[in-house]
Amino acid sequence: MNILKLLADLAEVDPTLYDRLSSRRAAFAPLSKLGRKAALAALPVALATAIVPAHARDIRTILDSLNLALVLEYLESEFYARALGLVAGAPSVPAGFFPAGTRPAIETIYRHEQQHVRFLERVIQASGGTLPAKPRFDFTGSKNGAQAAVFADVFTNFDTFLQVAQTLEDAGVRAYKGQVGFLQTDNSLLEAALRIHAVEARHASHIRTMRRARGANVKNWVSATDASIAVPGKTEAVYAGEELVNQFIAGLRQVPFDQAPLNTVVAVAKVAEAFDEPIPASTATSLVSIFTY
Amino acid sequence: MNSTSLSRLFAARPVRRRTFFRVAGATAASSALVLAGCSKDDETPEVTAEQTFTLGTGDTGLLNYAYLLEQLEAAFYDKVVATPPSDMSAAELAYFTDLRDHEVIHREFFKFALGTSAIGTAVFNFGSFTLTTRAGVLAAAQTLEDLGVAAYNGAGKLFIDPVYLGVAGKIASVEARHAALIRDLVLPNSFAAADVVANDGGEFDGLDAAKTPAQVIAVVNTFLNITISAAGLPS
Repeated sequence: MNILKLLADLAEVDPTLYDRLSSRRAAFAPLSKLGRKAALAALPVALATAIVPAHARDIRTILDSLNLALVLEYLESEFYARALGLVAGAPSVPAGFFPAGTRPAIETIYRHEQQHVRFLERVIQASGGTLPAKPRFDFTGSKNGAQAAVFADVFTNFDTFLQVAQTLEDAGVRAYKGQVGFLQTDNSLLEAALRIHAVEARHASHIRTMRRARGANVKNWVSATDASIAVPGKTEAVYAGEELVNQFIAGLRQVPFDQAPLNTVVAVAKVAEAFDEPIPASTATSLVSIFTY
Repeated sequence: MNSTSLSRLFAARPVRRRTFFRVAGATAASSALVLAGCSKDDETPEVTAEQTFTLGTGDTGLLNYAYLLEQLEAAFYDKVVATPPSDMSAAELAYFTDLRDHEVIHREFFKFALGTSAIGTAVFNFGSFTLTTRAGVLAAAQTLEDLGVAAYNGAGKLFIDPVYLGVAGKIASVEARHAALIRDLVLPNSFAAADVVANDGGEFDGLDAAKTPAQVIAVVNTFLNITISAAGLPS
């Protein structure tokens, strides 16, 4: 059994294989404690647990990735459009909703999200793909009144609005990051996705600056010291896994940040801040569904 | 960002149908792990008669490229945190300490990944910056952070090993968060201004800047007393 060849072939089919293997460090960690022979014997079992379930549920194409990105951009774009009073038929936010000086930044972010929508629509259509249906959005999370609202005052309380904005932007950064592996066969699209991903990160950082200016305890990057804004049972996935200090290099070798000598050089408590983590499409889709009906 | 000068709209370029619509059977076309597992990239920095240093080839070269960038950023913030300008606030100094710590972590990540293939420790000359004033430090930080974001945006596609594409993404967004913070300190609401996020009516509107290794190395060289060559790096 040529494990390397098998892995390479699987990686061709599913470019995120390595990431998933990395995330299965619990399964792999014990291997290092075994002898070489025992480890080799155990490897196929570990591989099977890492590959089979995830592989079966996520065989994505570039079109799938672009469609996911477009739905995310529809979501973000509509969110800001409603706050800015640009959606016909939607109730407008109360006068004075935007504190002095805050509206221009939201207009800038909205413009970018619109540009991302148009970019992705052009790419998909130029390649003969069909655009995904634009969902119906309810940013209170009540699914148009079918259930209790999660963010009842999202368009009447500016602090709630900023919390939802941060949630969407941080999730967007993670969602794009989760898709870049699927774009690796197309350099132009991959670069475009990274460029959009960086803009979402700039947005997330600015929203966090805005929240901090209003008294929130939050840094510009995802930090364990941030006051949590995750809603239990709803939006926890936006930040789950960001606390990891485990980073991997080729060959699935973990970087021992928390061991000597590295822990004498780096601030171990800030390792998690220094790396944003991806989320898979399934997580991104379930987060989107909080705001759709 | 000469996005409008392209003769053909990027977005009008059809994506290869096979990868766009479905995943076909495995081929040897990108047997990345085989390459990673078998390749022994023994490229080490070479000193030529002109004192031009190279970074290596392939993923090793790109990792050294990222390592050099992170060395640059870490050295800059080390210097600022060690001798901050007198008109910088305590809150700002705390930001800079975080930024320094992040860049040191990135630097050590790449050093560890490179092992014996790592280039040496570079010595940087920040004489072109004014590091004695808050305004000068912030302007310098903005230059370096925007450079870092554009560098990762441009380098991601050049990696063969998807692990390192993933890492480039994980670090790129943190650098973008840094850049937005610094920009808002320089000028409120400039976190994604048109000099970094295209907004000229062209096809790349709303996209961040991307720079090639050659473009980035040319800037990095202005902080070095030696010359690094991007030759050998993928492009």
